[in-house]
Amino acid sequence: MRFRVRRLALQQPDISIDSGQKQQMSSPAAPLQSDTLGSRLTSRGDLTSFFMELTAEIGADSYMLVAIVHDQDRNDARIVSSNWIFDAIELIGKRLIAGLAQGPLTAAPGIRPTPLVAAQAPDADGLVSGEEARLLDVLGHAEIYSLRLNVGRQRLFALFSAAAAGRIDQPALMKAQLKCCYALSHIPQLIAAAAMQDPLSDRERECLFWVSEGKTTDEVAVILGVSSNTVNSYITHAIQKFAASNRAMAIATAIRSGII
Amino acid sequence: MKHTEIKDAAEALFNEQRSPFGAFSLGSETHHAVTIPDAVRRCRWISVDINASAFGLFFVSPSPERARLVPCFDSDYPSVAVASKFISGANGEEIVRHSRISTEPRWWTDDGVAAMADMFGNLAWTGQMAPLTPGSSGIAFPVHADRGQCGLVVFLGSEITLPQDALYEIHARCFSLFAAVARMRPGDVGRMRSISKRELECLKLTANGNTSEEIARLLKLSVHTANQYLTQSTQKLNAVNRNQAVAKALRLGLIE
Repeated sequence: MRFRVRRLALQQPDISIDSGQKQQMSSPAAPLQSDTLGSRLTSRGDLTSFFMELTAEIGADSYMLVAIVHDQDRNDARIVSSNWIFDAIELIGKRLIAGLAQGPLTAAPGIRPTPLVAAQAPDADGLVSGEEARLLDVLGHAEIYSLRLNVGRQRLFALFSAAAAGRIDQPALMKAQLKCCYALSHIPQLIAAAAMQDPLSDRERECLFWVSEGKTTDEVAVILGVSSNTVNSYITHAIQKFAASNRAMAIATAIRSGII
Repeated sequence: MKHTEIKDAAEALFNEQRSPFGAFSLGSETHHAVTIPDAVRRCRWISVDINASAFGLFFVSPSPERARLVPCFDSDYPSVAVASKFISGANGEEIVRHSRISTEPRWWTDDGVAAMADMFGNLAWTGQMAPLTPGSSGIAFPVHADRGQCGLVVFLGSEITLPQDALYEIHARCFSLFAAVARMRPGDVGRMRSISKRELECLKLTANGNTSEEIARLLKLSVHTANQYLTQSTQKLNAVNRNQAVAKALRLGLIE
């Protein structure tokens, strides 16, 4: 099995897997460091320090923030931020990461998450093979939690992992999930650019929405009060932006990435 | 409203299904089928926990043009509270725009109770907005469900107590409540069970940008049969054409 590796979208990860040993700020009264860092989040650098702090707070060693990009029949993982060692990502491969992020173990906010424990793999879901599980274990990801993050309409995934199973504090993790959603809400443009999920203009999105509701070009033209040629050109642009081959595919791509 | 009774019942349930998260088991509760009255009850428990006097759950309509809040239920269920009418009207525009790009809760105070402004003002991660209903205070939580549905859970009251630590838990419970409500909303799912595996395959290939000719070649069918499958699935989904059928199938989770 060959898979494409997109080096382009990858941020150079910080080589510091020791973050888990950082002193925990556990006093309940004082605001946690991650709250202070997260609510002032404006840049990519802030994003890294916020996630490092949060990773330490929940007792994890590594984090990875992933956007899933739909490409024909396959899903591709685009890593927005991570402190995994670069080689680990290369070795494990984006396909497995995309599988983890979209797998049955991924928990939406408010749902109690179940970890992937490398020692217990290969699991019934066939998420990872025995060899992949050993690799994860050796690379310090004995236990991996996959969380869905909602940032407005955008959807991202966070993987938190620890070198030993059972080290991650579940209640803290569920709170951290909401904090991640909040923090990422501060940088919508950055997230959208990283995930490239919504390349459409408002007008293009509107047209595509009405087409997805079964309206013809002429009907959309009446609804929006513009000419049919204009509507067609908006839709053509949308199709081009998604590199789709026709309207149906453009609609499918837009719905899958939560744009319409 | 007999708050004490409700609170007692809620507490009994919490103790029964207490999770490490400090709320009743968030993971397990979404598995059993919920009806709207069930959801109203669950929302009432959340409302009791933060000492709010009213609540409401809204869907953000997916149309990019007419962005508005569609009331699903509120604390006056089965009728509709006056507050909901304000929120689904012009007052809701700001929060709809907000919920498209952000998941942060927004609060407002307009009832002259200074304590409310103090309490909300000290909450990290939240922000102020224009009042959703005049002469009240409240907080709105943007929520999202599995298939991209977007919504808003609103709590009103002049005595809301929401410590920082409880904020995450309350928002998490709003998320799981909305997920349950969103799952039961497509009322016409029942009529769609007759859609066949072959028809779904054709729809999936259409969603991936294949033409009828390509589908016919891939599935080793005649073009006529492929078209017939697509026409049938379009009818079964109650759609007017292929594009809408693909959109509906994706939104209902029939195809990935």
